[in-house]
Amino acid sequence: MTGEGMYREAAPSRDGGNGAAADGGGVCPSDVDLSRVWTGVAAEVWRRRPGPAERLAARLTGSAGLARALVTTPSLLLGWVIATVVVLGAGAAATRGTGTPYVALFAPAVAGAGIAYAYGPGIDPAWELSRSMAVSDRMVLLVRALAVFGLNAAAGLAAAAASGAAAAVTFGWLVPMTAVCALALAAATLSRSANVGVAAGMSGWAITVLAGQTAAGRLTAAITGSVLVLPYLAFAACCGAVAWYATRIPGGAR
Amino acid sequence: MNVELSDLTRRFGRTYAVAGVSLQVGPGVFGLLGPNGAGKTSLLRMMATVLPPTSGRLRLLGRDPGSVGPRREIRRRLGYLPQNLGYYPGFTVAEFVEYFALLKDMPPGRVPRAVAAAIEQVGLGAKARAKLRTLSGGMLRRAGIAQAIVNDPQLLLLDEPTAGLDPEQRVAFRAMLRGLGERATVVVSTHLVEDVGAACTEVALMAAGKVVFHGTPGELIACGEGSGAAGDAPLERGYSAVLAASRSAAARSATETRA
Repeated sequence: MTGEGMYREAAPSRDGGNGAAADGGGVCPSDVDLSRVWTGVAAEVWRRRPGPAERLAARLTGSAGLARALVTTPSLLLGWVIATVVVLGAGAAATRGTGTPYVALFAPAVAGAGIAYAYGPGIDPAWELSRSMAVSDRMVLLVRALAVFGLNAAAGLAAAAASGAAAAVTFGWLVPMTAVCALALAAATLSRSANVGVAAGMSGWAITVLAGQTAAGRLTAAITGSVLVLPYLAFAACCGAVAWYATRIPGGAR
Repeated sequence: MNVELSDLTRRFGRTYAVAGVSLQVGPGVFGLLGPNGAGKTSLLRMMATVLPPTSGRLRLLGRDPGSVGPRREIRRRLGYLPQNLGYYPGFTVAEFVEYFALLKDMPPGRVPRAVAAAIEQVGLGAKARAKLRTLSGGMLRRAGIAQAIVNDPQLLLLDEPTAGLDPEQRVAFRAMLRGLGERATVVVSTHLVEDVGAACTEVALMAAGKVVFHGTPGELIACGEGSGAAGDAPLERGYSAVLAASRSAAARSATETRA
């Protein structure tokens, strides 16, 4: 048996088809390409039916490839989502028990880590292969980051509502969360390491919270000070620009 | 010419992984030989548009990969098997191949049949619905080859494709390679000389980031005749002779520079 033969015989169902034709003595007309028929059958049998989330994403993005990339985002996998819900749920419980707005303090850090892990190197095993694909890796990153941000914002809002925190604290963390996410993304893309992104986002947020406490004497200063909204947004815009630059198109011909 | 490289370089810090490579490759199977660290993988990654060159000119399938639109067109027609194939352990073989078919922008309606054909071609039909984490190294390599050929590429880049394949699979793979080379440009990076001898119509030998030989396998064999170079087969002797000559030339050049 040649190696090529071995390749062909690796598909048992097709062999069954050929065998039936041979045993049946003319069951299958000679002008039928059995190999082609088998490929069609295999395509139907092996075809994967996308779930509702993937179908919706394909409709929204207009690309089946982008939708598939989105549902494989490391920080959108079930384990990560459960961990996020558990952290924010614990924060909500602690907020109700102590009065300290832990949800507002946790949410930006959790979202920042999620955003950093939406980026490839170090966490997406097929990153190099993905970089050679027609669907742009920058587009994949953008869609993934938006999805992670949206999911974390929704989870944070639900946890904040459940914690019964004051209105200012309930929504005050959304803008800092944007800034922390942008910082994590910028650090991850610039260093080409998701872990560096997580470290930058978490440490950046910890420094901000501690600095707010030192300056204003309150742990919540970083999330309740309306004067900080513009600086947060400006910082987020700068980090966004850095991430955009870091994921720029590599020069081909120079 | 489907691949045109002109004075292409790639530097990592102070080290030149690729130091001024010029090549033109047309349809057929092109072998890229060389010892570890010769720069084969960096060169292949540049051709796969994964790694930007530091300097030089690169054209693939008649297009400039430095611009967005042409690069996307190149990537639609490209098949790439990296040296270290990352994979998603929870995916089945069919899901893995389908994922990359979709990322290659294939029309979704054509994908299932193309996936089935690619999986059949590499002989993984019986494992199409098996999770990747349950496969052996050789089977994973074949799944990687399946994703590379799923879009019927015009330019196929394979980095160490036979690593982990058993002898029977390697024979089958070479036959498949010859078939693919009839309608596309296939560039195979390897340090296994016998792969080149069996499947390639043209070969380049790299050492220290440079191409030190470019010709047919027959011409490489001729380089080893009467040279007394080490090797069990004529092609191995040619390979050793060319490498030895390039190393002594580099040593001479270094001595002259110091002097």
